[in-house]
Amino acid sequence: MNQHLSADQLVDFIRGELTPQDDALAHGHLQTCPSCRSEYELEVSLTEALRAAARAEELEMPSAIKAAIWEQIRAAQPGPLARLSAFWRPALALPALAVLLVGGWFASPYAPHGPAAPTIDASYYLEAHAAQTSQTPLSEHSGSQAIETSMADGSRAPALVRQIDSSAATVAFDAVP
Amino acid sequence: MRFRSDPAAHLALLGLLGLLSAAPAAGAPDDGPAANIAPVQLLRDSIQAPMTISYVGQFETVRFSANHATATIVKVEHRAPALTRRWYVAPEAFYGDYTIARGGSTYEFDTKSSQVVVSHNPTLDNQLSAIGNFGRVLQNYRALYDGTGSTVADRSTFSVVLINKFTGERAVRVWIDRETKLVLKKEEYHANGSIASQTRFEDIRYTSSLPDALFSTDVPAGYARVAGQSVALPSPDVERVIRDAGFSPIEPKNLPQGFSVAGGDVANVNGVRTLHLLYSDGLRSISLFENATGAAADFGSLRPKTISFEGHDAQYVEDGPTTLLTWKEHHLNFALVGDLMRNELVEIAKSVVE
Repeated sequence: MNQHLSADQLVDFIRGELTPQDDALAHGHLQTCPSCRSEYELEVSLTEALRAAARAEELEMPSAIKAAIWEQIRAAQPGPLARLSAFWRPALALPALAVLLVGGWFASPYAPHGPAAPTIDASYYLEAHAAQTSQTPLSEHSGSQAIETSMADGSRAPALVRQIDSSAATVAFDAVP
Repeated sequence: MRFRSDPAAHLALLGLLGLLSAAPAAGAPDDGPAANIAPVQLLRDSIQAPMTISYVGQFETVRFSANHATATIVKVEHRAPALTRRWYVAPEAFYGDYTIARGGSTYEFDTKSSQVVVSHNPTLDNQLSAIGNFGRVLQNYRALYDGTGSTVADRSTFSVVLINKFTGERAVRVWIDRETKLVLKKEEYHANGSIASQTRFEDIRYTSSLPDALFSTDVPAGYARVAGQSVALPSPDVERVIRDAGFSPIEPKNLPQGFSVAGGDVANVNGVRTLHLLYSDGLRSISLFENATGAAADFGSLRPKTISFEGHDAQYVEDGPTTLLTWKEHHLNFALVGDLMRNELVEIAKSVVE
């Protein structure tokens, strides 16, 4: 750019309103043209002086007016649609959607774990074994034996469970700590 | 309740006893004090003795686990043939509780919770089966006199030991009253020779004057009557039992020598169809439970331990000669209960393969 910058071009350059190409040409010209550079600096200083003057004359809004304005804002409740639209803002909607999806998956029949599987009391196995082996001659489960134990008739198998469970209540000899 | 008596069964029992008496003894009498009676006959008499001998006494049982032992002391009154009252002296948790057995029915009086639990187990009433199983004992064990016996509860005894024919290990030793043929002391042994349990009378007195009131099963005032476990006779028709299970069970491929299937049944346990197969060598028994509904064992407060084999975990609890081992494999839940050591049960469990 060999031509000097016009007043309008200089103001637009200061406000950043030129096109990128014109902005680049103006910037290059200011680097090589002392006259335009002087005009540029004068324009910048004048703008700063006007802004300083405006800040100096700035007046605080009376507190009564400010309070009245805030009262008007608080009294204006948003309607249902406005609330719904606020709820669906992404910051809330995404977590809410995730919760709904996870809950839906676990409630579906395709979930990895459905209702809790039934269990069988371990003492049932001990009792059933003791009961069915009560025909075994000389077995401690045998009912035909004169020599008897806590499980002699099979039905005392719960006693076995209680013995295992209640070591403090049995005469116990711990061979190994 | 009246003791159930079946004349036909008694006749069959007498016939069977006669046959067994005529058969050669599995263990010939040695130079023991009972040289005039075979140890097998002595054992047979001891099994039948409670049918004719009444007594009162107190016995003590100690059951040994791998690193633990528990003891129980029980007072007993027995009126032949099938009335027995036992009440617990120790441990403290059982003190005051008592049971009354009338043939195959048992009334358990729980004084702590003020209830009477009534259970039925027809196998207790089935002497014919007991004698039949004694035949299985003789197939797998040799009966021998063991030394000169000793005095138990101030009674002179014969001592007989049962030796496993396959392993040569002794399995059970009993001390039998020379006069009444009642077993007064018994020791059971693990496969490695260690003692699994010991039971002995501390004192015993033979009497036939036991009042009926001792065996009353009337529910005391303030007590609740509760139905306990009722057991069905195991069916010898195992193929039919397996068909009734409603799923394809898996049986162990390897059992200790002498063991064979002895029966089975299918039960509905907590809504779960459960197959129970029973294996026995006459003295020791193994129960294998299976279900196909994913129902695992709930050990509650039993504090099971975990063991791994064949690439999966299993849980077990031990009490004296009895071990319970549970695991899941092949989409089935298994529970193995047996009067065997844990490593023996694990070997059986390993053989439960398709």
